[in-house]
Amino acid sequence: MSYYECIFIARQDLLQSQADALAESYEKVLAEHKGKVVKKEYWGLRNLAYPIKKNKRGHYIFFNVEAPAEAIQEMERQMRFNEDVIRYLSIKVNDFEKGPSAVLRNQEREDNIREKFARDYADRSEDISEEMNEENHAS
Amino acid sequence: MRRSPTRNSSRTERPQGNRQGGIPQLKVFNRPRRTCPFSGPKALKIDYKDVRMLSRFVTERGRIMPRRITFVSLKAQRQLSTAIKRARFLALMPYVAE
Repeated sequence: MSYYECIFIARQDLLQSQADALAESYEKVLAEHKGKVVKKEYWGLRNLAYPIKKNKRGHYIFFNVEAPAEAIQEMERQMRFNEDVIRYLSIKVNDFEKGPSAVLRNQEREDNIREKFARDYADRSEDISEEMNEENHAS
Repeated sequence: MRRSPTRNSSRTERPQGNRQGGIPQLKVFNRPRRTCPFSGPKALKIDYKDVRMLSRFVTERGRIMPRRITFVSLKAQRQLSTAIKRARFLALMPYVAE
């Protein structure tokens, strides 16, 4: 049994539920070949850096898998047939990372920044409206 | 006839003033040399999923930066370049940014 990181990208027109169903079907394939999914991550509908098969965005699904090589081969074979999967990559690793992967960590950070910005902006617009009111009163 | 000896002499003098020899090498700045960002106590981890980290080692156009600029060690540069290539394959990073 080896450790693998598997990522695949699903087509943009799929719903999130459909993408999840797809992921589950591959989990099942791995299970049939004595594999085990240790961790599963859904990275969301991300923008692709360049278009792939006319897709500008894609559902990213990430697995940490402990499985024999045959299981990975079988999963990749099935991914090749499926038109909904536009990219897949399986990498053998020595050890799994603990906690959420870098993509999710970065996403969280960006969300925090955006949130903070939105809050600041809201505060400022309040200030401005208050100032305007004051000015109106003065006149 | 007079020009050639002067030219010769200037040629022999030049390396003294210019490059390595010549001027006595005073250490004006005792700045430590920049070291590899992937080794040492505060080392970054090379991960093909960490686009924010990888993008520091790529030019604006998306090309991998040479080691002489980033001071990445040879071993780390090899790992870094495969990580960048994996990120590109997964459309996390562009092959060419315009």
